[in-house]
Amino acid sequence: MDGIRVGKRLIGTQSPVTVGWDNIPRVEGGPVKQFIFTWFQPTMLFALIAFWYYAPNSIAKASTAIGIGIGFKVLLLALEWVNPRYESWRLTWKEMVTDLFYVGLGYTLLNVIEYYIGSDAVIEAVQHSFDWDKLAWFTGLPLLVQALLISLIFDFGQYWMHRGMHNWYPLWLPHSVHHYITQLNINKGAVGNPVELLLIGIGIGGFFDFLPRAVLLAGAIGLAIGTYQHINVRFNSPRWWRFLFNTTEHHSLHHSQDFESTRSNYSNTYIFIDRIFGTCIDGEAELLGMEGGRRMSIREQMTYPFTEGWKTIKERFGKERFGAPVAVPAE
Amino acid sequence: MSARFIDWIWHIRGTLALAPEQSSDEAFGRLDPLFRQTGTSQDRANDTLTFRKKDQAAQDKMSVFDGGVLQIEKGVAGPVLRYHLTSRALLFCFLAPLLFLGFAGLTVAIGKLEKPATEASGKKKPDKKDIELPQNPIDKALGSPAPEKPKKDGTDKSKEDDKKPSPTSAYVFAAIFAALYVVGRILEARLVKGLFRKSLLGT
Repeated sequence: MDGIRVGKRLIGTQSPVTVGWDNIPRVEGGPVKQFIFTWFQPTMLFALIAFWYYAPNSIAKASTAIGIGIGFKVLLLALEWVNPRYESWRLTWKEMVTDLFYVGLGYTLLNVIEYYIGSDAVIEAVQHSFDWDKLAWFTGLPLLVQALLISLIFDFGQYWMHRGMHNWYPLWLPHSVHHYITQLNINKGAVGNPVELLLIGIGIGGFFDFLPRAVLLAGAIGLAIGTYQHINVRFNSPRWWRFLFNTTEHHSLHHSQDFESTRSNYSNTYIFIDRIFGTCIDGEAELLGMEGGRRMSIREQMTYPFTEGWKTIKERFGKERFGAPVAVPAE
Repeated sequence: MSARFIDWIWHIRGTLALAPEQSSDEAFGRLDPLFRQTGTSQDRANDTLTFRKKDQAAQDKMSVFDGGVLQIEKGVAGPVLRYHLTSRALLFCFLAPLLFLGFAGLTVAIGKLEKPATEASGKKKPDKKDIELPQNPIDKALGSPAPEKPKKDGTDKSKEDDKKPSPTSAYVFAAIFAALYVVGRILEARLVKGLFRKSLLGT
């Protein structure tokens, strides 16, 4: 395969990819369908922002956010059914069971672990020892500015964490499992080795119902943009949307079987962070996964980082000590 | 107790009447594309086909099965395909509710262990009473509700308890997987029968 030159690199030499918005197929069907699948994303984004902006304090709680998150995913699942991007990514019973198993882990076991050791310590700090006076300069800003700053700072961190995972072997090991998925569906974002899920704090939290409204708004923005990373729906996302935000197209390229393509589009929400740091590629791919699209069983997904890490350690350090004969002449 | 009493959980058995004139060679020839998938190995001897699947692709039409035996027998009314397939995915889904019930039990148990500690540290110093949380004039003008304080100053210590991880979500997922199992056991048996029928009889 020849590949396509994008900046300094050759994309798609190992597996077919599509580069450039003009080459990406558009929604097929009547005017109503076209309209829905063009305006769905912006409408939901602005509707969610309006909701969290105006919701009374009694409703503006973390538990409401979790409920909305679940409802939104069910709705998107229906969209996958109606307007799939690729037939080859159709959700089957087995895929659904696998995905939901990981979603279930997130809502139960990982949640409990995080409660005791993980990211919920931060919320604990917010709840009990938060000095509101010191942050008055921030909480006095307009709500939307606060929310955008929170989500931007968070996504900036996620960008570098994710980029680190693709560049540093110890972080790559737990993340690699997620790259063995061979198709994108709504719940595929949860599929991965639980160690990674703890690393990026995907757990649902929600032990503390109170959260500042700006945080809830930031979460809603993340939900209304980031959820489309793993989805099998063809949208005609508006040009400004594709310029600013990560899309399923960007993320499918990131999951491509082509190695060079996977080293792009690292952000969760704001693809312009990738544009700034030169890692953005506008395009898409259908053939996803590692090792030519080998599908991993759940059992292997659980053990892979450890067995693979052990293998590497043995290869690196084992040989001189135990294995290879050393050519020392006997006297 | 015979294994057959429980192995229906992940074993799917069935029969399908073939066209009277169809030979087993012809029938297996028609089924052949189903077993030419990545990760699938097959072994044919006379009227029996045995197959295994490892790391089968998601869109493999028989991806839910990991192995099985297909036999063509001479029935009274003509040849009959008898199949016996096994699925680890079905077994996994059948056991998943137990796993999640286990998580629920674990959550409850840990919560009980934690309780004394919480009560000991329950006495928090009351926060300052009258902090006005700032709200930007723009938000006030646009009608966003005024921010409230997170808590009423340590007076509601009882709330401390309901912040503990709750086992509810684990129960919900146990129920989801139980339902998914029932759906899958019926659906996948029908789908595979339909798949064989379509390949063999073209209907």
